[in-house]
Amino acid sequence: MEETQIKQMIERQSLHGSALLDPRCKILLLVCIGFVSYFLAGEVVSLALMLVYGLFIAFGNGGKWALKMIVSYIIVAYLNALLRYVQVPVLSVIMSVFGVTVLKLIPIVMMGLWILRTTYMDDLMVSLQRMRLPQAVTIPLVVMFRYIPTLRIEYRQIRNTMDIRGISDTLWKRVSHPLATIEYILIPLLMRCLKVTDELAASGTTRGLELECKRYALRPIRFSWPEIAVSLLGILFLAVLLFLDQTKIGEIILWRV
Amino acid sequence: MISFQNFSFRYEESQDFTLHKIDMTIKTGEFILLTGRSGCGKTTLIRSLNGLIPHFYPGEMKGDILMDGHSLLEMQPSQLAGQVGTVFQDPRSQFFMTDTTRELAFGCENLGLSREETIDRIAKSTKELELADYLNRSIFALSSGEKQQIAIGSVYALAPKVYIFDEPSANLDYAATKRLAEIMGKLKKKGYTIFVVEHRFYYLREWIDRVFLIQDGQIEQEFTKEEFCALPEETRISYGLRTAYPERDAEHYRGKERADNGTHLLKVNSLGFSYKKGPEVFQNVSFEAHAGDVIGILGHNGAGKTTLLSILTGLLKQQHGEVCFDGKKLSPRQRRALSYLVMQDTDYQLFASSVEDELSLGIKEDCKEKVDATLKALELSEYRERHPASLSGGQKQRVTIGAAIVKDSPVIYFDEPTSGLDYDSMVRVSRLIEQLSNSGVIVFVVSHDFEFIVRTCTEVVQLDDHGAIQNHRLSPEILKALSEKYFT
Repeated sequence: MEETQIKQMIERQSLHGSALLDPRCKILLLVCIGFVSYFLAGEVVSLALMLVYGLFIAFGNGGKWALKMIVSYIIVAYLNALLRYVQVPVLSVIMSVFGVTVLKLIPIVMMGLWILRTTYMDDLMVSLQRMRLPQAVTIPLVVMFRYIPTLRIEYRQIRNTMDIRGISDTLWKRVSHPLATIEYILIPLLMRCLKVTDELAASGTTRGLELECKRYALRPIRFSWPEIAVSLLGILFLAVLLFLDQTKIGEIILWRV
Repeated sequence: MISFQNFSFRYEESQDFTLHKIDMTIKTGEFILLTGRSGCGKTTLIRSLNGLIPHFYPGEMKGDILMDGHSLLEMQPSQLAGQVGTVFQDPRSQFFMTDTTRELAFGCENLGLSREETIDRIAKSTKELELADYLNRSIFALSSGEKQQIAIGSVYALAPKVYIFDEPSANLDYAATKRLAEIMGKLKKKGYTIFVVEHRFYYLREWIDRVFLIQDGQIEQEFTKEEFCALPEETRISYGLRTAYPERDAEHYRGKERADNGTHLLKVNSLGFSYKKGPEVFQNVSFEAHAGDVIGILGHNGAGKTTLLSILTGLLKQQHGEVCFDGKKLSPRQRRALSYLVMQDTDYQLFASSVEDELSLGIKEDCKEKVDATLKALELSEYRERHPASLSGGQKQRVTIGAAIVKDSPVIYFDEPTSGLDYDSMVRVSRLIEQLSNSGVIVFVVSHDFEFIVRTCTEVVQLDDHGAIQNHRLSPEILKALSEKYFT
């Protein structure tokens, strides 16, 4: 294959639309949603938050994911409403607190995992550097970003061994000895973690990770007008939601069973 | 030119020097193999070349290492980044990025190269190492061999003059190893200096210029390629070295008789499996295994060996066919209860806080005597109080085998048990498996290690591209056919 062809392949992006926004813009929105989600009490405004940001990520390789999260949101909301009919002392209070917490978390999880999946690692490193964060912050953050997707693979491996060895392999064993189960999962996971991070650090070091040069990502990273527009609109929208929540709209009950 | 001048090194946390008075001079463009038993100091030696010693692994140093007249020990690892490139053993843990293109660019971006320069360099690296097929892929979708090639490409883009490979073939199958040898040959022809640390070095025999045998932190012997490849068998074994010609083992194969003191029979009937929405991994897989059989499962990466293992051990449910033990059809849960899997990565398998507890974990009845006997048989008695994580790789592996023995599993599976093992440890694993089979256990071994297969297995099962399977009793003819398939 010719070099020009290869170069075209290198510059081809598998991501598009809102996924290509500067990571700083995405993280800013995530932080704002995190704050606002917990302050919104009204059901209509919370749903609006979910829908609008779902639409936002649907424009950036996140259509299926957004749909999944919105559906789960509606299901959890209905289940919460159902709790009104269950009158078990203490338990129903715990359940409803739990339910509301999950409901508030869903938009944050939706946004957070989308960012994790649609951000090129080198874009992230560059934008963190442009924020003038020291390497002591950026390197662990990047390693964490990289490690999260592997956690599931590692977890699966450990569960497999536990099943074969008959350690916490049945639901009953897991329920009756939850602490032991957690211990058996955590110990190998930590051991792996130690080994992998050590090797990863060695590999990074020999490729110049510690150099503090100005970095350039494979595509230009700039906080320019699309980012400014999206951030302003996003924040404005959240502010409007906060305001509407105080009005009559905030009192409308949506999830009736 | 690189010269070690009376170089000694002691790790901060250790009492003794790991390297003693290393004196060697390597000319530019030489292909150097460093070999020797596990723990002899090979890895320490290359760590002092790429700057990880003394900056990443601090300790006490004597002597000096010069590269083209400059002391390596005074340079920061990041200064060395564009000059000495290292490819590490485990391709899974050297990736910083989540996609291949960006991984190739990683080093260049660290050096602060401009966008255009970075793209130029990775395009060059992609072209010269023929990596175009792997561009723009998620690293989680690559096989170990493909990951290894990307790792080499990433180092190549930094344009170093010296390449270091730390046991690069440990996680590779035959095809990937062959490809690795090709790439190394290319690097050599371009005039780069290459250091390879390796136990299984057969694939390098064409490229080696000199070999340094390291023992107890010292250079025990230096060979030219001719001397090294012509080493008499006894001498080679006394140094703990693997063979340079594994295919010759096929000719010396002596048939092994199945030990006849068990009556178990594991029968697999027309097994088929495909992942959700994926193509079929294999179909119509049938074979039989008797007590005392040691069956090698062969096939290239991606042929479905791991999937087959998962089904046999009951971690996955097959879509077609059945697995029977002594005539009784087994559910996945029953298969899990019968089998034991010794994984390549022992870290996943050690749960308890002492070796003793590890062996008895998950077993309800009193098994103290059995644990004692097993510890003794595996030469682990002196470590019984130790935390499993503090043991060496080989010892950890023996602990997991011990757990299998205590569990009394009639079927034991080994996944790549000899990756990264020296000759002595390989022979030890082989003997252990022989003992298991003599006691009537059915043993399955997934392996790419021909020398080990010839030494250990009584039968082989081959998975080919179509997922079909052949079951052969090992004989010199079949081994010859296999060796032709793998080595030519």
